[in-house]
Amino acid sequence: METKIGLEIHCQLTGAKSKLFCSCSCEYRGKEANSNICPTCAGLPGTLPLLSRRAVELAGMISAALGCTVPEEIAFYRKNYFYPDLPKNFQLTQYNAYGITSMGVDGIMQYGDGKSARIRRVQLEEDPGRLVYEGSMETSPYALIDYNRAGVPLVEIVTEPDFADPKDVRLFLDKVTSLIEHLGVCDTRLEGSVRCDANVSVGGGNRVEIKNVSSFADVEKALRYEITRQNSMASRDIEIKSETRHWDDARKLTKESRTKEEEQDYRYFPEPDVPSIVLGSEFPSLVSRSMPELPDKRKERFISKHGLSPHVAQVLIDNKELADFFETAMSAHYLPREIANWIVNDLMGFVDEQQKEERSILAGLKVTPGHIAELARLVDEGTINRSIAQQVLAQAVKTGEMPSQVVRKTHSSRIDDSDELGRVVDSVFKAEQSAVQDAKSNANAANFLLGKVMAATKGRADPKAALELIHKKLAEQS
Amino acid sequence: MAVTKDQVKHLGWLSRIELSDDELALYAGQIETIIKYLDKLDTVPLQEVKPVVASKKFSDLRDDVAVEFEADPLGTSYRKEGFVKGPRMV
Amino acid sequence: MELFRLDAMQVADGIKKREFSAEEYIQQLLERIDRVEPKVNAFITINRKEAIDKARSIDKKVRDGEPVGPLAGVAVSVKDNICVKGIRTTCASKMLENYVPPYSATVVIRLDDAGAIVIGKANLDEFAMGTTTEFSKHGATRNPWDISRVPGGSSGGSAASVASLECAVSLGSDTGGSVRCPASFCSVIGIKPTYGLVSRYGLVSYANSLEQIGPAGRTVADVTAVMNAIAGSDRNDHTTLDMKPDYSSRVPDRRFRIGIVKEFLSGADPEVAKVVYNAADILTKQGCKCEEVSLGSVEYALASYYTIAMAEASSNLARYDNVRYGFEMSSEGYEWNSYYAKVRSNFGEEVKRRIIVGSYVLSSGYYGKYYLKAQQVRSILKQELKSLFKTYDLLMGPTMPILPFKMGEKIDDPIKMYLVDIDTVVANLAGTPAISIPGGFSGGLPVGLQLMADEFQEQTMLDAASLFESVTHVQRSPDL
Repeated sequence: METKIGLEIHCQLTGAKSKLFCSCSCEYRGKEANSNICPTCAGLPGTLPLLSRRAVELAGMISAALGCTVPEEIAFYRKNYFYPDLPKNFQLTQYNAYGITSMGVDGIMQYGDGKSARIRRVQLEEDPGRLVYEGSMETSPYALIDYNRAGVPLVEIVTEPDFADPKDVRLFLDKVTSLIEHLGVCDTRLEGSVRCDANVSVGGGNRVEIKNVSSFADVEKALRYEITRQNSMASRDIEIKSETRHWDDARKLTKESRTKEEEQDYRYFPEPDVPSIVLGSEFPSLVSRSMPELPDKRKERFISKHGLSPHVAQVLIDNKELADFFETAMSAHYLPREIANWIVNDLMGFVDEQQKEERSILAGLKVTPGHIAELARLVDEGTINRSIAQQVLAQAVKTGEMPSQVVRKTHSSRIDDSDELGRVVDSVFKAEQSAVQDAKSNANAANFLLGKVMAATKGRADPKAALELIHKKLAEQS
Repeated sequence: MAVTKDQVKHLGWLSRIELSDDELALYAGQIETIIKYLDKLDTVPLQEVKPVVASKKFSDLRDDVAVEFEADPLGTSYRKEGFVKGPRMV
Repeated sequence: MELFRLDAMQVADGIKKREFSAEEYIQQLLERIDRVEPKVNAFITINRKEAIDKARSIDKKVRDGEPVGPLAGVAVSVKDNICVKGIRTTCASKMLENYVPPYSATVVIRLDDAGAIVIGKANLDEFAMGTTTEFSKHGATRNPWDISRVPGGSSGGSAASVASLECAVSLGSDTGGSVRCPASFCSVIGIKPTYGLVSRYGLVSYANSLEQIGPAGRTVADVTAVMNAIAGSDRNDHTTLDMKPDYSSRVPDRRFRIGIVKEFLSGADPEVAKVVYNAADILTKQGCKCEEVSLGSVEYALASYYTIAMAEASSNLARYDNVRYGFEMSSEGYEWNSYYAKVRSNFGEEVKRRIIVGSYVLSSGYYGKYYLKAQQVRSILKQELKSLFKTYDLLMGPTMPILPFKMGEKIDDPIKMYLVDIDTVVANLAGTPAISIPGGFSGGLPVGLQLMADEFQEQTMLDAASLFESVTHVQRSPDL
């Protein structure tokens, strides 16, 4: 049966310093409850919203990056509903109606290999406050309210229902994440800075909204669960209700909302205190001037200029942190392919899945771009071979020591001193007399001797030089 | 169009205002009269008039500078460790 | 000398010339307030201590030769929906009976900078919704000319306090006539400035797209001085325009082309109309050209006004849920929806009525039928006024179609009450300025004359008011 999935992605504009309509800080995390508020974001009588220019600019960048049309004029609307996390009991948001649109409309974004999804709209709005319960929401005798987050600028990206496979949703979300990271509009590593609601329908049935999914990784799981649930209902001819379901993170399933969601009537109307904003004809150029290089362009550059494979380039740009790491390392020693391979194939092995989900890949590691650059140089110059290099990296990840330091300490650099190598060969010849006799007539036995030399040097011997020495010595003895 | 007590009750719910039976009865009649008066708008001859909207230039918007408000703006004494104590959710 | 009788400009002048001290003046005013308040009830809060402290600081500055501002020592009452830091701002509502704002409105800061002294917070209809100042938690304000009658509203406390000589000037707010109506009923001057001329930061919103703060006073010079102090752009209000005007109250040489709006007169009480025609005669004798004009879309003005005002109000007043601030009522044991509904049942009858109608006109499916249409009417009105102002400097008519009426007379019939706003709402819908000046009396009751001008033509309006004031002697305060 045909599955249709649409997404609503919320991302906080942590790249802004102040809230959307007042001068309180966007950095509300870790602060004492209700210490990051002012009369305006606390919804005191007589206060007026003062729109931040920077937030509009950042939202404009997101819209442009998603291929949306950015209108010449934008307006804000009041979405009227009561909820204890809303200081004014309405939310200032955008709404596409009556000839005035939101920050961006009708975009399209490519993702994965040749897939694309249409973006319905990008809108700028204010985040509500935060509710904390003692125990669960159902049993807590009161709601504890912290308005510190109230008014933080939020961009909502609404897609058309263009996805059929949860795996594609995941690829799309990875792309969006990389995009907003590259734009510098949102630090996706911060808890709750990106959130995603999804809507799903199967076989042309009713749409079900899934809310409360706290990480992008869980979106895929929630969708899989929900599609299976709907398919099994459909196969038993049970009608699927149009409803909102909540993702239960602990039990990994979607469940009916326990709170009474009355039929909502948001009574939208234009916010009288924020005039319609004339962005003007210069706005697109202003936005594009402040736009950094986007992931697609960057990938292209990694491939064409630095010779990376498309796969390696993709892994790097999927996470801005990783791509930046690569570029910094490369600027220390221009060995792009070597460095990229070390990052993608080896370094990533030390990152646990949890960190990957949280997109703070490098947070726990002690290695810097300088480490990887030096490692690549040591290999490139032949100081250590690849398998030694892997051990060196493992040590550096643990201790933070520079690779050259590790090499020095463990005497693991390649033995290229012919006297030293000669002594090793001598002792191997002494110990393996029958093999030496054999080797005089049998080439395979010479390789056996080389193996012994390599083992005796713990792999530090240059195999080519050692083999030469072995042959020389065999010739001398015959 | 007649405005019923049920309609007023629903509007009261949308506005989170508890209304007594007497109030429902009183308001139903009054609101019907008021709405009838507002229906005058249906007879406005022009349809294609653009509504009045004030506008502001992008460049005149607020600068992105974070400033801390020095006082506690909340008046309520129902607090717990800085949090405001609101009614229970369910 | 009875200092409380002095007009604002006389007060500032006398204090600066050290003819009397600000403290003496304030003391006399406080005594006057104590004497007349039992009859008038113009104040919700009287700032005795703060007023005397400020007076002393002004006296000290005068002694030290420091600058004291154009309104030095002038006592101003401030409508109790305008925030003054640290002083209770109740909006005449149970919902805000304990609310003390942690900040001051821009207009209050500007008046303070000009040397004015906030003597108290003036009574109003709850959240400024009303035409009589009867809908107040604090009890009704009475008309000082006849205490059995209403003073007009919603800034009834403002106009009554000025007419009763309890202060020199006052700040009110005008959403659909709320400064001009009581100015008319109390025989004082009241101004509704051009939308965007005066900052609304700190004015508790009733209908944001319609309202402006405006002064009430006994002379054109006084309200001009207050306008000069408060008008001009404010970075705390996105809807203010980038300007800083400087108005004059000198009697002009200029003579005006005045259109008498026939629709304003056709529905008026003949006694009221008579005063308006008489005023037209006076102005004509002074060389002005007065002729009758028509403003056809007035027909839709009230429906448009009440649609927009109630829609915006229903949303503005949603924040009063008693969680962050409000009155004493624990939420313990309540589920949040039922707590909100219980708490919000404490709004007064008129406020509840307007919130419910506002919810109705915005609810799904009705937006296009009401709100959008109402906004279109504003455009039509604006266009119509624009074209009239090509020919006329000013439009004139009565401020109120009727004389001040008896208390309780219209309180049970909302539509009857709403209809008396017909002449004032036009300026709010169009965003244009208007002034009500004392036009005369009929049977001992005041009749206000309304002058309307084009956007930002406040000076024209003030000029005509000065001219009229200079050739008439309409009493501004009754014997109390």
